[in-house]
Amino acid sequence: MIIEILKEYYPMLFKGVGYTLLVALVGTVIGLLIGILIGTYRTMPKPKNKFLRAMKRVGDFLLAAYIEVFRGTPMMVQAMVIFWGFALLNGGATLDVTVSGLIIVSINTGAYMAEIVRGGVISIDSGQFEGAHAIGMGHGKTMFYIVIPQALRNILPSIANEFIINIKDTSVLNVIGFTELFFQARTIVSINYQTFATYLLVAIIYFVLTFGISMLLRFVERKMDGKKNFKVLGSQNMDADSFVREEGGIG
Amino acid sequence: MIEDTSANILKHADENDSADIHTDQTIIVVEHLGKSFGDNCVLRDIDFTVEKGDVTCIIGPSGSGKSTLLRCINLFESPSVGRVKFHNEDITHTKRPDEYRKRVGMVFQQFNLFNNFTVLGNCMVGLKHVLHKKSNEAREIAMQYLKRVGMESFVKAKPRQLSGGQKQRVAIARALCMSPEVILFDEPTSALDPEMVGEVLNVMKQLAADGLTMIVVTHEMQFAREVANKVVFMENGVIVEQGSPEQIFMHPQKERTAEFLRRAQ
Ligand SMILES: Nc1ncnc2c1ncn2[C@@H]1O[C@H](COP(=O)(O)OP(=O)(O)OP(=O)(O)O)[C@@H](O)[C@H]1O
Ligand SMILES: [Mg+2]
Repeated sequence: MIIEILKEYYPMLFKGVGYTLLVALVGTVIGLLIGILIGTYRTMPKPKNKFLRAMKRVGDFLLAAYIEVFRGTPMMVQAMVIFWGFALLNGGATLDVTVSGLIIVSINTGAYMAEIVRGGVISIDSGQFEGAHAIGMGHGKTMFYIVIPQALRNILPSIANEFIINIKDTSVLNVIGFTELFFQARTIVSINYQTFATYLLVAIIYFVLTFGISMLLRFVERKMDGKKNFKVLGSQNMDADSFVREEGGIG
Repeated sequence: MIEDTSANILKHADENDSADIHTDQTIIVVEHLGKSFGDNCVLRDIDFTVEKGDVTCIIGPSGSGKSTLLRCINLFESPSVGRVKFHNEDITHTKRPDEYRKRVGMVFQQFNLFNNFTVLGNCMVGLKHVLHKKSNEAREIAMQYLKRVGMESFVKAKPRQLSGGQKQRVAIARALCMSPEVILFDEPTSALDPEMVGEVLNVMKQLAADGLTMIVVTHEMQFAREVANKVVFMENGVIVEQGSPEQIFMHPQKERTAEFLRRAQ
């Protein structure tokens, strides 16, 4: 039965999977970028100038408000408010549904990512910051070249988690008529009336997607950790020799 | 100095104020520097001068404020009172500490190598992104200094694959790569196993012989005695005595200095 549904409706299901993946992937990536920018801004040293310090506090407050509001309300409601809010402000003209979906998932994810990135940055030893400052890096370079790359490695599991959540949660975008997988399932059910079989099939598809991504990211994680060993170049060096011996002993 | 308040001049009139003579050779002058954390006064009235080629060793008991002094000099801590002058320019409250730190390197007790880079990457990242050198040139410079500290065969290693002494030598190479005018060392051998102390001190001796200007906080009295041309003894946030190694180690003027040295031997 499931196979038949798949055979008959695969173009629709394919399209749904495509849109779901698109919005989840783009939303996660942009959300992560938002999170990195906010994390960098929030960990900036206090400006010495009074005016700038006041500005920074205003910025901090606005960002905190953004994070709390978007974490504290359901994405389905956010989708409605943003989609119809835009229409209201533009005399009834609605924003393209795909664009809306991308924006909503991105800024929603950004709110979570900001906190995840902040946690990642806090987990980096202050010695890494000081090492970077000591060679003349300012806050931006320190974050970009030294801290964020290490923080990203540490928070990769949380990023994977957000991505998986997004794959599932894009289903709420059906409320604005976004043709993701769940929306397609509803459409199919309205044609074939096979509610159980259709949703079971869709459940399997969701699971394959999320499980596949889980495996993929675990692979990426291993890749990021790099090789356990390294080559010592030229072994005339005394220290190098003894080091190779030590390594051999351990490995 | 001219901008000194008369009160300060009176207060210091009886002290040996070498800090007040600036020559072409003078790189850093610390003047009446003080630092408090809340109402905990950690440094008081610190004065000293670093000339080009000087190897200044700062010694003193734990908690006497040696690290805090170094951190004030490269502006990791902002001094509560007094000034730090670099080439006769007051940089105490500069808006661009990063510009200043390009010219004043630092080596830490805990190495602080970048964990996301290899040995070579640690040395190249500043050359490329702070000094804006091309990759090729950056690599050449980095290799040159890694050779100098005897770490050229480890270019591909990550910091976690190195011993403490090796890490510290890479950290020294990383600082050297920026061609700073002074390098500050905060107890560079204190986190090392005894058998690795020698390899790091040897590198530092070589640098001193090559004329590098260094300020070294250390508990290695032997090193201070052999390598330094100025020794500063600190206790409870003040400089008790400073002078040549000969003066401090052979003829200490203050009882506290003599007592500290007796116990440190
Ligand atoms: N960030 C800080 N906040 C409050 N107190 C501090 C801070 N940093 C240092 N201190 C205090 O300042 C004093 C001097 O510390 P400092 O680390 O400069 O000593 P030190 O001479 O380097 O000692 P050691 O030989 O153990 O490294 C100590 O009493 C310490 O508790
Ligand atoms: Mg210290």
